[in-house]
Amino acid sequence: MTLLFVDSSTWTITLLGWAIVFCALLFLVGIFLTVPKILKWVTNRKIKVVENGQEVVKDINDISGETNAVIATALHLFLNEQHDDESNVITIKQVWKRYSPWSSKLYGMTNYGFPHNVSKQNRYARK
Amino acid sequence: MRKFVTVYSVLALLFCLQIVFGTDVMAAVTESTGGLSAADGLTELWNFTGFANLHGSYSNLIMIAVGLFFIFLAVKYDYEPLLLIPIGTGILLGNIPFSEGYKIGIYEQGSVLNYLYFGVEQGIYPPLIFLGIGAMTDFSSLISNPKLMILGAAAQIGIFATFLGASAIGFTPQEAGAIGIIGGADGPTAIFLSSKLAPHLMGAIAIAAYSYMALVPVIQPPIMRLIIPKKERAIKMKPPRAVSKTEKIMFPLIALLLTTFISPSALPLLGMLFFGNLLKESGVTERLADTARNSLINIVTILLGVTVGASTQANVFLTTDSLKIFGLGALSFVVATAGGLLFARFLNVFVNKDNKINPLIGAAGVSAVPDSARVVQMEGLKTDPNNHLLMHAMAPNVSGVIGSAVAAGIMLSFLMK
Repeated sequence: MTLLFVDSSTWTITLLGWAIVFCALLFLVGIFLTVPKILKWVTNRKIKVVENGQEVVKDINDISGETNAVIATALHLFLNEQHDDESNVITIKQVWKRYSPWSSKLYGMTNYGFPHNVSKQNRYARK
Repeated sequence: MRKFVTVYSVLALLFCLQIVFGTDVMAAVTESTGGLSAADGLTELWNFTGFANLHGSYSNLIMIAVGLFFIFLAVKYDYEPLLLIPIGTGILLGNIPFSEGYKIGIYEQGSVLNYLYFGVEQGIYPPLIFLGIGAMTDFSSLISNPKLMILGAAAQIGIFATFLGASAIGFTPQEAGAIGIIGGADGPTAIFLSSKLAPHLMGAIAIAAYSYMALVPVIQPPIMRLIIPKKERAIKMKPPRAVSKTEKIMFPLIALLLTTFISPSALPLLGMLFFGNLLKESGVTERLADTARNSLINIVTILLGVTVGASTQANVFLTTDSLKIFGLGALSFVVATAGGLLFARFLNVFVNKDNKINPLIGAAGVSAVPDSARVVQMEGLKTDPNNHLLMHAMAPNVSGVIGSAVAAGIMLSFLMK
């Protein structure tokens, strides 16, 4: 059978195909609306606080993103400061280098005019 | 240097002769000189050149111009450069005229390009790209508000509407299915499906899909402004909730099992997508995730882009079918965008005042990650400079990827012989 230039099997594939895509994603939506609830229930079961001799379930899942950001920033700052406080001692080690003509300033490559100028300078310095 | 100039001057002269007098003059010149060895050599050399193999037809030159135009778009306007540069260069490679039988062309068995093209023909590259996409994608915006996933399903109307349209204008069901997937705005999925259903149309379909994906910032905004009134464009959405690590790990596993049980034909695509995401979210395979989202996807993108570009040889690409495919592709993008937007408005009817969604994010359901989400963000900012929709738009955007892969699987199940 032809309907609007297209045979019935094409219409079947079109409508059924789109419906299946919808169903697959709707199914995922359903699951991912349920999963957080299950996780919340499991977490709440574990976290029980005793207040006035009675077990009270504290709901810790409804913390907003902003609160989380504030806690994370505070923790980050605290841990960083703690690290700074720990290392307040400044240690300066004396570096001992053995003399070598390779590291000598006197024989350095940038010391143009050596030894003539040096000897002259030394001569003037003595005066 | 002088010899070099002389040889090329002679070749240029011969080319001009061919243009002015036609190809017969070459034979006449050779015959009149009594088979001189130098002339024979030159003729032989001439016959191997790209100029001689044009055979008076300039379709290859048109395709080379198209390739250069792609490179220009990528360099000048930064339109999807990671795709358009390899594809544009591939078009140049595929359209240099050559003598057949020397294992040069992409369709010649045993040629280097043919070996690289194997990955496209057999649908190997698209799942590898999906692995990288999975390792890159953060599904937390989707997990925090799963209802937005339906927008990704709504936008898949583009696929099925194009399938209908292609069938109506005379394509076979397999060809129509392959063309329809352009509406999914997902290059790897389009290549994967067309390699299975209509390999002869793959070049045109891939080029159309990638071109329109690059043109998402041009195609979508007018449709958004047409369908969504300014008041609704300014709706501010609630910030997404924080998602736990357990949820992030559970998402790829549940989604993999569920979607592949519904549509097993999409297993290579969805399997790799969720596998890549699991590598990322598990937190214990950072090295593998890093390889998947960087080195591997880069290598495969290069190979895929160049070979898809090279598959557009003028003799197989420049046909009326390609023109029809380009027309249908444009239509499918428009329909998909409109479908997502209208469905978002429809959803708002059932949602209470505090949880209204900004209908602009419906446009991101067409997949084209992350361009369409970026377009939504830009349009949102134009209406209200303080309204940031990017995170919200990422939810339908990634669900569009899942939706288009599921749709591809369904098409395969229905149409694969």
